[in-house]
Amino acid sequence: MGEQFEVSFTLNTNGDRFQPPALTGFQVYSGPNVSTSMQSINGSTSMSIAYSYVLAATKEGDAIIGAGTIYVNGKQYSTRPIRIKITKGSAAAARRQQQQQQQQNSQVSDAPMGDVSKSIFLRAVVDKKNAYQGEQMTVSYKLYTRVGILESQLDKLPDLNGFWSQDMNDPKQPQNVTWKSEIVNGMKFNVADVKQTIVFPQKSGDLTIDPLAMTFIIRQQAAPRDAMEQFFGGSFKDVKVKLKSPALTIRVRALPEAGKPAGFGGAVGNFNMQANVDRTALKSNESLNYNMKISGTGNIMLIDNPKPVFPADFEKYDPKVTDTINKSTGRINGSRFYNFLLIPRHEGNFTIEPFKFSYFNPETQRYVTLTGKEFPIAVAKGKTETNVSELSSADKQDVKLLDKDIRYIKTGNASYSKVGETFFGSLTYNLLLLLGPLLFVGAVIYRNWEAKYNADAVKVRSRKASKIAAKHLANAKQAMSANKSSSFYEALFKGLYGYLSDKLNIPYANLDKDVISDALRSKSASEATISKVEETLDLCDMARFAPVSGINEQDMFERGKNIINDIEDEI
Amino acid sequence: MKFKQLLYLFLFIVLPLISFGKDMPGDAAYAKGQYQEARDSYKKLINAGNASAALYFNMGNACFKTDDIPSAILYYEKARILSPGDEDINFNIRFANQKTTDRIEDAPEFFLFKWWRGFILSISLSALAILSIIAIALAGLTLVWYLFSQSENIKKATFYAAITLFLVGIVFIFMGNRQSAYFETHKQAIVFGSSVTVKSTPNDGGKTLFLIHAGTKVNVTGSSNNQIKISLGNGSTGWIAASEVKEI
Repeated sequence: MGEQFEVSFTLNTNGDRFQPPALTGFQVYSGPNVSTSMQSINGSTSMSIAYSYVLAATKEGDAIIGAGTIYVNGKQYSTRPIRIKITKGSAAAARRQQQQQQQQNSQVSDAPMGDVSKSIFLRAVVDKKNAYQGEQMTVSYKLYTRVGILESQLDKLPDLNGFWSQDMNDPKQPQNVTWKSEIVNGMKFNVADVKQTIVFPQKSGDLTIDPLAMTFIIRQQAAPRDAMEQFFGGSFKDVKVKLKSPALTIRVRALPEAGKPAGFGGAVGNFNMQANVDRTALKSNESLNYNMKISGTGNIMLIDNPKPVFPADFEKYDPKVTDTINKSTGRINGSRFYNFLLIPRHEGNFTIEPFKFSYFNPETQRYVTLTGKEFPIAVAKGKTETNVSELSSADKQDVKLLDKDIRYIKTGNASYSKVGETFFGSLTYNLLLLLGPLLFVGAVIYRNWEAKYNADAVKVRSRKASKIAAKHLANAKQAMSANKSSSFYEALFKGLYGYLSDKLNIPYANLDKDVISDALRSKSASEATISKVEETLDLCDMARFAPVSGINEQDMFERGKNIINDIEDEI
Repeated sequence: MKFKQLLYLFLFIVLPLISFGKDMPGDAAYAKGQYQEARDSYKKLINAGNASAALYFNMGNACFKTDDIPSAILYYEKARILSPGDEDINFNIRFANQKTTDRIEDAPEFFLFKWWRGFILSISLSALAILSIIAIALAGLTLVWYLFSQSENIKKATFYAAITLFLVGIVFIFMGNRQSAYFETHKQAIVFGSSVTVKSTPNDGGKTLFLIHAGTKVNVTGSSNNQIKISLGNGSTGWIAASEVKEI
């Protein structure tokens, strides 16, 4: 079953309308393949035509290839049906048969003699077992052999999931590589690098380096069949071997969070950074190149594009990136060149802030930040601006909204109330609210009281007078209670003079006894009062310098008060 | 003389309520970008029982900067209750709401209701309290002036001024009254659970109606043993566990 065979229908003359037989139970691989041949011998022409099919049985058991029919000059001819017995076979056998046919006469056997894994094997070798995320590592797939290799074939390239990989060389046929010898377990092996890849782990954790699978046909010494053969060096057997390198696990550590600089772009290795501008003085609307070069060893192709801070008013374009990568030394080193094109749109003095490039150095296990130079850029007024002859509003532009953020906190406002405590509706609030109306009510009461109080004119007058006397004689009263005789009389004298000065509207300096008497008389004060005033003033004047007998200070004070009251009553 | 005394009285009452100049502890850390430290010091103040619109606003900002959007919204809303018309607070609420998962379209509202709410919430309660006291007190003072003035013109002017001031004071008192009643009846809460299923009944057997996510503001309309009834701005209602939200 599954074996291919050919069925052909042959006719020795020309015919037409060939009807193929029913080929049930078979799979037609090819056909009908028509071949015609014509022969002309001594004028007599003979011709033959053949239809052939390549078939394979699909079912076990008896199968029948039916009769094929053809018409020759209108007459139908048919073949006899053929019965074929199909036995169970193995698909592998069929395939092998096919392969053998293809490989023609080579004697390759699948079953190697003895254990070949000791004499030929693949190994994956990593230059480090522990690495930081993004750190450069080299994976070499090495072939160790002690036997001759006739042919090799790559079965499966490793996927290297979780790594960013860069092949150092294409997988080579073992014939093309340079062989070295190495001694493993006391046996000498020929060693070749089949494949070398630089990998950068892209995530942390345990990552597996996939195996590399290859198929080799090796020549193995077979046991000699006879003495003759042994003498001539024995016979060889070609054996097919499938090899797989063992999987490797690499522990990848995440980059430390501590001390990670802001704007860290994932660079791991050892780098240098240079930044420069092609000019520092230009006119507006002219272009400016800001160049940055990052060079060194490490994952240079994987670095995030740097974002230097340019003045917001500069028009900026995405950088042009040029990589120069050298991997011949077995490590990736090289440089990456960024070219930013900037166009200042307005004149003024601007500053391109120093660019900070940070990378992680896995050898020192530290973050390193390189700081570039600061560039002052002087932009003069350019042409297009001076040429604007339209309305000045054409020059204006909307304020650009560069980013959004929440509003800033409220500062200088450190006063709090207690939670759940509201001033509105509290007792204090209600009392304060009553303040206005109470004020009004108080004012009304006061007005009414005042109206009643002022109703009696005489009483009001005397009250007023005594108030005025008290005001002017306050000093005298003070001196009296302090028992200072001389200052009492002086104060009393001054108080009376002051009162009379106010009352009679005469300046204090111009006052004397006669002036007072005249003025009082002109204001129609009674003679008794005038003489009383004169007498009292005389007494005071005297008592200021010499003690006076027959009258004490209390009486004197009462006298002064009475004078004021009398004058108030009369004038 | 009387007026001067009154003025002193007012200065002593009003000044502590609107005091300026001193920064809160935490403002300096915020200015330096140390948001976590700022947040801790604001939190200390709040835990000590202090409350002010500025304190809640600053706490909300610190929460926002430390990527805690639900807390930020909670404190902004607390600040808004104390100072409903503040433009900074309303702006930051809108900004923080852009970062939440749920977008809830408010159901259309009759314009008079909207205007009315805008009117009673336009001035903060503490400002209304002070304004009403000032208006009523001024009305009283003008009436006193009216009583004691001799000129007919001044009497006329002061009388009408007093009536107007008194009416203004009454309006302020009324607004304050309505505003406190509004916040009393409109209990709101912010969802803190990252994904909360809203059920049709307060027990576990109810059907799941919809999902809401952290940072969404809900109106609390009722409660029943550890479950609260909520309604959203678009009108949907349901029950969720009370532990999933924090009341404003």
